[in-house]
Amino acid sequence: MFLQFLFISSAVLTVSCALGVLMVKNIMHSCVFLLGSLMGIAGLYATLGADFVAITQIMVYVGGVVILMLFAVMLTGGNDFVSRAQNLLGLPASMGNKWTYAIGLLVGVVFLLTNIQLIRGLTKALPVKTITNEFPSTVTQIGHLLVKDHVLAFEMSSVLLLGALVGAAIIARPRKQN
Amino acid sequence: MNQTVVSYLSQYEFYDFLLALFRSNQGVLAFTLYLLLALIIVGMCATIGGLGTYAERKISADLQARIGPNRVGPYGLLQMLADGVKMMTKEDIMPFTADKKLFYLAPLLCLTGVFATLAVLPFSSGFIMADLNVGIFYLVAISSLVGLGVFLGGYASNSKWSMLGGMRGASQIISYEIPVTISILAIVLLAGGMGFGTIVGRQGGLPHEWFMFHNPFAFIAFFVYSVGALAETNRAPFDLPEAESELVSGYHTEYTGMRFGFFALAEYIEVFVVCGVAASLFLGGYNVPGIKLDILPMQAAQFVIFMTKTLVLYYVVIWIRWTLPRLRVDQLMSVCWKYLTPIAIFNLMGCAIWMVVFNGKSIAELVLGSH
Amino acid sequence: MIARKNIVAILLGIELILNAAALNFVAYSRYVTNNLDGHIFSLFIIVIAAAEAAVGLAIVIRFFQIKETIHIDEATQLRN
Repeated sequence: MFLQFLFISSAVLTVSCALGVLMVKNIMHSCVFLLGSLMGIAGLYATLGADFVAITQIMVYVGGVVILMLFAVMLTGGNDFVSRAQNLLGLPASMGNKWTYAIGLLVGVVFLLTNIQLIRGLTKALPVKTITNEFPSTVTQIGHLLVKDHVLAFEMSSVLLLGALVGAAIIARPRKQN
Repeated sequence: MNQTVVSYLSQYEFYDFLLALFRSNQGVLAFTLYLLLALIIVGMCATIGGLGTYAERKISADLQARIGPNRVGPYGLLQMLADGVKMMTKEDIMPFTADKKLFYLAPLLCLTGVFATLAVLPFSSGFIMADLNVGIFYLVAISSLVGLGVFLGGYASNSKWSMLGGMRGASQIISYEIPVTISILAIVLLAGGMGFGTIVGRQGGLPHEWFMFHNPFAFIAFFVYSVGALAETNRAPFDLPEAESELVSGYHTEYTGMRFGFFALAEYIEVFVVCGVAASLFLGGYNVPGIKLDILPMQAAQFVIFMTKTLVLYYVVIWIRWTLPRLRVDQLMSVCWKYLTPIAIFNLMGCAIWMVVFNGKSIAELVLGSH
Repeated sequence: MIARKNIVAILLGIELILNAAALNFVAYSRYVTNNLDGHIFSLFIIVIAAAEAAVGLAIVIRFFQIKETIHIDEATQLRN
């Protein structure tokens, strides 16, 4: 019962804050709504029993990415550029016309049918998973997996982070005005 | 192993009595117990926050050879109530051009970030609200909400000085999270788990069984953690975002009355939480030296031990504040990035090498022989 | 719906997209398989999204230093 309560509240938080990111005019408010959305997704991870991933999400995104976005908004002026082009009905032009939705629906249906066929073929070979309501802790298992099965990806991601750090510092460094 | 307060209480008979009272609805009973205990913990920590203001004034007076507040109540103990009443009855001003929603939100973010960390503090072996398997990681992650609150408070006030103070405060907090997290990682290596129950359970009551004296690297990690955590709480020699508010402005200049009270309360309770974490990770937590029984008065003894260690560290924090001069912003950043972070990484590697070479034994176990 | 032209707003949208994919992977790990591969993949998605946000924002700041604006329609040339 508590699980359903957590799921519903996290889902409502996530979706409403995601809509808020898109719809509000002030970009600082957008960043705060992104924060709410990411906390909601962390709650959804918690309902799936992924405790380590949820806490990593909070730590990396809340403590890092959102503050980074806020600093970038501060450093670049925070203007809210909104496209004011309108189509015939008075709605914003980026919402498309009837062909957009028709083609999108067609592509979606084809994609869905293809995926159902694919997944039906794949899951025949997998062992049947019984879903219990117990959530064992994932921390030690993830630790073992990261250094045994997925060690290459782990090391490569550390090199990637080093490259991102150095690259970002070099790209954004202050330059002498010549 | 992964227990909560409610699962601990379910060992006793009055839990069955309560269960019958609630018509065997275990979920509602658990929720009510959690709510009650959460209110108790929040009340206790808010009182400690208030006492912190009083203790600060008294201790600073002692250090400066004067008498602190002594008019309101016996030994000035009711001074904190007087301060609280004063803060609550002040007029709630909001600048006209401020950003209303973010102005409301910023103190709430600070307060949430601090109070949510109280859920994993190990007050005693049965009285952890939720002994998460990722306990210490959760605590560090949630405390980064405080930095966000500082930044938004500085921005929402819509004054140049506040914004500068907010940006400096936020950059200070996120920079010092790194040496703090790496020192905590060194302790997680020694303990073999991230949950507070695991970490405190691996230590003992006597000083040679603490993690601080396990390793020379853990010893240095204690000091790196202390310095980093002091800087994270915007406290002591690192209070430039705040002290600007004494001199010029800061991120909470435009906040009056109870909103400012939220920021101040969040800071005092965060110092308490940081001292509690240091006591649990490095100083043995709630372990009572020598005795290892499993009876109910044992819980009270553990609670007393934990609070004693935490309050001694709190006293040291207040002592440092009134002794050392304040650091400038560039000195702050250079201390973090040029000194603390390399030392913390060196500690982590040293602890890992120690664990491999000496098979996880502490210095005391190597010298005295494990018994 | 608002169509935004601010580059930082576009990066906010990218974060949302990456998070949605990561959530899908963890759900797959819980309901279909018995191992934790979905969790590992989600961790890597989080790491890469953070690195990409950092580099993207560095580029935005450089763009602002050159062009004094962050309107996306100004990003029309590959040189200068």
